[in-house]
Amino acid sequence: MVSSPTNVTNGVRPVGSMQTPLHERLALWAFRAPLIFMVLFFAIPMAMTVVFSVFERTMFWMEPGFTLTAYENFFFSARLGNFLNSMKYSLISVAICFVIGFPISVFVRKSIPQVAQHRVVLLFILPFMVSEIIRVFALRPVLQRNGLMNTALTNMGIIDEPITALLYTHTSVVIGEVMSFLPFIIFSGFLAMEAVPKFIFEVCDDLGVGPWRRFKDVILPLAAPGIFAGSVFIFVNGLGVALLPNILGGAGAVNAGLIATQAISALDFPLAMAVSAIMMATLMTLLWIGHKLFDLTKILTPLS
Amino acid sequence: MNEYENPWFHGLKWAYLLLVVLTLMAPVLYVMYISFNANGFGANEYVFTLEWYGLIFSDELLIGALRWTLMLAIVVTLVAVPMALLAAKYYKAADNKLFPVFLLLAPLFVPPDILGSALLVSFKNLNAVFIWIGDGLGTSMFDSWFRLSFLTATIGLIIYTIPYSFVVILITMGRYRKEQTEAARACGASGWRAFWDIEFPQIRAGVFSASAFTVILVFNEYTRTSLLKGGFDTFTTVLISQMLNTGMSPQSYAMSAMISFVAIAAIGGIIILTLIRAEALARIARGKAEPVMS
Repeated sequence: MVSSPTNVTNGVRPVGSMQTPLHERLALWAFRAPLIFMVLFFAIPMAMTVVFSVFERTMFWMEPGFTLTAYENFFFSARLGNFLNSMKYSLISVAICFVIGFPISVFVRKSIPQVAQHRVVLLFILPFMVSEIIRVFALRPVLQRNGLMNTALTNMGIIDEPITALLYTHTSVVIGEVMSFLPFIIFSGFLAMEAVPKFIFEVCDDLGVGPWRRFKDVILPLAAPGIFAGSVFIFVNGLGVALLPNILGGAGAVNAGLIATQAISALDFPLAMAVSAIMMATLMTLLWIGHKLFDLTKILTPLS
Repeated sequence: MNEYENPWFHGLKWAYLLLVVLTLMAPVLYVMYISFNANGFGANEYVFTLEWYGLIFSDELLIGALRWTLMLAIVVTLVAVPMALLAAKYYKAADNKLFPVFLLLAPLFVPPDILGSALLVSFKNLNAVFIWIGDGLGTSMFDSWFRLSFLTATIGLIIYTIPYSFVVILITMGRYRKEQTEAARACGASGWRAFWDIEFPQIRAGVFSASAFTVILVFNEYTRTSLLKGGFDTFTTVLISQMLNTGMSPQSYAMSAMISFVAIAAIGGIIILTLIRAEALARIARGKAEPVMS
């Protein structure tokens, strides 16, 4: 039951006859509080990485100043090569995730009844309920010389000798990235397919258009914003998650995340900040290009 | 299924989908399998045992870590979920949606090590600034505000979990029609009353899912926690330091498996509960819709 308020006449609240009460004004600020929090503790620290990256390095910390040593350390050393290399492998992971994952999003949207769609997608959240650390670590006994994969392949008679290239190589990092990030392309693909109405498949079938043509000319342009967002997510995390090369990679498997954490362990804070700033610049550029090309806000249309 | 499709082909696609889920889960299932082996990984003989699990609970360090992890999970959930709810309501009403949505979803795109390092250096600098201010004022009151501690870890984890809660709550809000709030307000209800009695019951499922999600995310998070925590250890940081120092011991398999069991049980429980609830609600609705024939 709603108790009858005292300041209404004939059941109607008088409009504009009084000032907004204090608690309502406070409530307005309460709604802004999360955004203020995010600006203070997320946006500003991320932006400050640029400032801290030009500070002078001291023995254990850093002091205000202006020097480009950290960027020199990044761009004129093996780090740049490693970074570009990790970009290449990250792109390979994006491509593999897309090829494996996106057909699943299309299948779920196209062939599964609407009420069950969300539940099917929920299946892919299941691996996320397990710590990423554990999932990545668990790949070691799977990929290792006498691990699950080699044993299974040998038992099936497909290989005679265990494959050693499966672990501590770039291949294992790519496998780790695909295993960690595949669900993201399925989620974003699922959201993206919201923009592709079901009747489009029927129209294409009626016109006798093949699946490839339908994918290239109809689905891809409509679902582009979601696919792009998912791909950027995988690409940037492939560059930035230090765990993957740290646990699965061998010599030379170094990405930006690993450079940053190694710099922190070596107490070279300006270098860590320079790497962070470079990563933020990469991310912003990608998102900006994506926004200009596809208008990324479209992804959230089903939510607003 | 549409009429053009071959049922065999449809079955094949389902098989593919389940195969991908199984592949993603395979390492975890394999770890669970190893964790019950008395001889550990790679042994020729498999002997079932619960010994390794027993060892976890006799370990003081682990029990302490478990306590810290639980505290972090509870505090982060209590702060982050209401914040996500406020943010979702703000987003719904905002004219310019690009700014809030960018700010709230951007942490998803920032890799853990980058966010962790940036926050670590910011907090250290902030701490220095606060100490300097305190010195100027002749007080040591501000000295430990932003020293790496439970507080800094909490802030880092809130930033990490808020996008997930925001999206989950926003999805459930999609079904709510704001005319209901307007009707409640026109009837004289206060803003809070309209929210609590009319809107909240309809988005409760989303808020609970967001809370469960946040607890599990905090429990599983390693990178941000380990960079931002002070002198305490959480479950994952103990696990990783053990793994990195001594390699995978049978005990670490048992620990990994146990965390996985708890997480899967929690989310499985939630899914089953919501399905049962949805079923019960549907039955009530059907009961009301059908005329009584007697």
